[in-house]
Parts: sequence; C-alpha cells; structure tokens
Amino acid sequence: MGYLNNSVITVDAILTKKGRELLARNDGSFRITQFALSDDEIDYTLYNPTHPSGSAFYGEAIENMPLLEAFPDEQQIMKFKLATLPRGTAKLPVLDLGYASINLKQGAQLAITPQTLNYLGNNQTFETSGYSATIGDIRLFSNFTGVGINTAAAEQNNTTTTIGTNVSRTVIGTQINLTSTTVNTLFGTQTQLRTTLTVVGLDSGARLTIPVTITKNQLT
Amino acid sequence: MAFKRFDPQDFVVSADTVTSTVWSNNAVALNTAFTSSTQREGVSGPYYLNVFQTASTSNQAAVQYQIAYANASGGGGVRFDNSVVGKSSTTTIYGQYRTLVLEDENSKFTFGPTFTGSAANDFYVISIERARYKEKLFPGSFNLVLSSSNSNLALLHLTDDSNAVNIPTYFGTQRAYQVVSGSDGSPYKGNGYSFSGSYGIFLPDISTILLNARALDDASTSGGTGTDDGAGIGLGTVTTENNNGQNPSKLYKLISGSSAASIFQLNSQETITSDYVFVRARNSEFNYSENPSFISGSTGEVIYDYFINNPQTYATTVGMYNDSNELLAVAKLSRPLVKDFTKEALIRVKLDF
Repeated sequence: MGYLNNSVITVDAILTKKGRELLARNDGSFRITQFALSDDEIDYTLYNPTHPSGSAFYGEAIENMPLLEAFPDEQQIMKFKLATLPRGTAKLPVLDLGYASINLKQGAQLAITPQTLNYLGNNQTFETSGYSATIGDIRLFSNFTGVGINTAAAEQNNTTTTIGTNVSRTVIGTQINLTSTTVNTLFGTQTQLRTTLTVVGLDSGARLTIPVTITKNQLT
Repeated sequence: MAFKRFDPQDFVVSADTVTSTVWSNNAVALNTAFTSSTQREGVSGPYYLNVFQTASTSNQAAVQYQIAYANASGGGGVRFDNSVVGKSSTTTIYGQYRTLVLEDENSKFTFGPTFTGSAANDFYVISIERARYKEKLFPGSFNLVLSSSNSNLALLHLTDDSNAVNIPTYFGTQRAYQVVSGSDGSPYKGNGYSFSGSYGIFLPDISTILLNARALDDASTSGGTGTDDGAGIGLGTVTTENNNGQNPSKLYKLISGSSAASIFQLNSQETITSDYVFVRARNSEFNYSENPSFISGSTGEVIYDYFINNPQTYATTVGMYNDSNELLAVAKLSRPLVKDFTKEALIRVKLDF
C-alpha cells in the first residue's frame, strides 16, 4: 500500500486589465464568484491515441510542455475554455454566425445573430448570457453595439466609446450591430481595410473568429 | 457549462509578513553616510540633516534618513525671533514629536522607566526616509554603531530591546521599544540601559528612532573600555539657548566616522494580505474543450473517437470571473494538468493585493 498523493497545486494569480479597472472603480464589481479552466497553448493534434506504448503515453508530447506566464490582457488569455459535458458527448458546442467572413462597403450596416450548435443537446440555440463580440480595430466601424442583454457589464461595454485609436472593443448581446466607417483617411492608398471579429458564447465558452473586410467606395 | 461557481468556503484570507532591508540597493548595512551642504545651509538645515548613502551630488544619491535634534527649551537652536526666548527649531521638533508620539502637550519623554533628563528633555531623532520602507520597521533588526575619536569611549552598539521584552510599551496605539546597548534586539548586559536611562526609544510604527541625548553625552569611562558597559559616547550636545549647536551634525559624525564593519542595520516589515482561492474540478467536470484542435471540422465533432467516452483535457490556465463573466484574474499552471473522468483537481490560487 502506497501513500496517496495529496499535494495541492499552488499558483499565483495576476489581475487582468479588467480586474485592475474594476478594483480601482471600488463599486463592488470586483467580486470573484466563479471560475473557468482553459487549455490555452495546448495542441491536441499532439495527442497520440495510437501510441505503441499504450494509453499511458498518449499525451506524452503534451504533459511536460513548458507553459508561458499569464498575460494581463483578458482578450489574450482564457481563449479556449474547458467544458463540462456528459460523458459520451461526440459533438462540442460551436458558434454559427451565419458568415464565414464579413465583407462590407463603407457605411454599410450588418446585424449578426450568433447561434450555438450542439449546445445543451440541441441542434442550435441562443445562450442565456449572450455573446461577447470583440472587433480588432474599432476605427473601422462607426457603430459597433450589442443588443439583447441587459446586465450591468453588457450595458457598460455597449455604452463605452473609444475614439481615434487602433484598439479593440468588446460588446455583449444576442445581436451584434455593425456599421462600417465612412472615413476615407483610414484607407490611405489602400482600397480595403481588414480586421477580425471574435465572438465568444458566454455560457458555453465556444469561440469563433472570422475576418472582416471593409471596402472603400470608389468615385465614379 | 464552462463556468463553475465558487462556494463560500473556497475563499481564505491570509496575512503574511515579509521583511527586507530599508537601505537603497537592498544593502544589508549602511556603512557610508554623506550629507548635503546645500540642504544643511538651506531652509530645512536648522531642523534636520539629510543623510545619503553616497555623495549627494551623485545621480545615485537617495536620502536614507534624517537626523534632527529636539529640545523642549529651545537649546541648541537659534531663536526664531530674538525677542522671544526659548523658541527655536529645536523646540518645534520637540513639539512635533511630543504631539506625534505622546499625544499630550504636558508629557515628557521618558527613557527607560523614569529618566527624563533636564527640563529640556532633549533627544535626537533618526527618521527613516519614507521611500526606504513599505509599512514599518522590523523590531530586532536595528543595529547602530556609534564611534568616538576618544579611544577610551571607543564604540557604542545600540539596538532595540524587542527580544528582551514580551510585549512592547505603547504610546497611544503605536509600539515603543527601548534603545539599549546590545545587538540584534538583545541587551549586551542586564537591561542594556545607560547611566542616564535607556539610550532612546525605537518606534517601529512611525519608522522613527529617538536617541536620549543625555545618555549619548556621557563621557565617563566607567567600566573600563567604555564599550557596551552603560557609558555614553561623549557626543557633546550643545544645549545653550539661542545657539546654533549643529547637534545633528555631531551625531552624524559619530555615525559616518564609525569604524565598525556594519554601522547601521535596519529592516522594514510589511504585512501582505493574500486571498487564497481553492479551485475544485470534480471528476465529471471540465473534461471537454473548446480548443479548436480538440474539434474536427466546423460541426464540433471531437478530434478522436477515443475522446467520445474517454476525453482527456489539459488545463493550463485558471480564470476567475465576476457575475458578469468579466475575467478579473488569471493564474497559469507550471505545466499542463491532466483532467479526465477519473481525475479530480484541486488548485490553490494565491491573489496578492
């Protein structure tokens, strides 16, 4: 009879940018109530279920890999969450935006209604907490809002205005409304501007990133 | 599905004390001391003397501590107004510390059980520069060696008596230890007092050391060598009224001229409050992943058939969220943590503020 391994893993946590912001706000919004696990950096194609030495070695290429330290930018970490699903699940929740990519002309509008496939045993459904949508460069849009979710976090995200900087912006909703910019100077000599739209299901953790292209209106 | 709520017992608050040296560059002892003639001759000169770890003209120079002299009768300082007797910079310093420490304008500083000295009740002040410490001084770490050019008096080793007393004396809400002859918080002999009460008062909570001028002035050679035997160091404090005695410079010279290997040792102490959060993943939880390499194609099918009934995930990151699903804090594991339906995980996350 051997000793059981009762060791506890201890790790030091850092505050994210959002965490620091909410801590400084001192309005009670910095209150940790839940957690999630993620497997950022893991490439499951390295997992080898046909390893000749047996199942104990299936994950040998992953198990001892060195990991990077945490990034404080909440957009760059916790990208791929671990999910709790019934044993025997063959399909994981995935997002469907209805578009593989978005191509808009200057000033054009678009409304995106994300859906989650394979969610809670259904073919498709909407997540109760909604979806967060992050645009890589907010300058490309004159309007980028989320509607349909009325939590304090959603309302604050949706009313924050960022002007004139090439920073990302995140909104929350069940529908994401976009209006591309009419500003010509952003294009310079180019006819197209490109960025990405990342949508995350706030309940499932499912994530999808698609390219976004804005095409300059040509004078005729 | 991706989030799990914490239970109230998953949070534990812990307060840990950390100590470090107070001097610049984490020097264990301050063995060199410099002053600035500009400061000494300036408007602050009559009140205190800045002491640096290197020449004050160096771009590396940083104030380590200040020396001031306090005298209830105004002795050792020049009158503010020649027609007002007994009011000088030394009176101001005395009143400042009387208010700060004793909190009573009618009280006198007592060095040891009863000694108050003359009516002037004078003392020196060593005030540690605020940038040198985080919270307070660490009792038992104070070691100061004064050196006299008089070979009969030689060296005087001063420390606080924190190791010799069970509980400190309190002035209001702040702790006070007596400064005694000895080292590392322990008296050298007996209670370590001088022939004129204790050598001073160590006030860790306001990072201040008061030195009994009467004890340091003692130039008797009783005890033979004058080292650690209750005698003073022949400081020669000027107590004459309306006379710029430059007393801080006198004490500075005994410190800077010391021949000891370690002249001034002092550590600071800080209490860091940490939140420990226990992250518990049950055997049935977190066994699937939204990682794109876990999924084959856009339909969400798991990458290997083996994963349908025997999924295996590798947790690398713990994210902590508020009720609005906003990511407040993250912790990375040192290596991937294997999770499947036969394993449970317990991770203790430390959050420092």
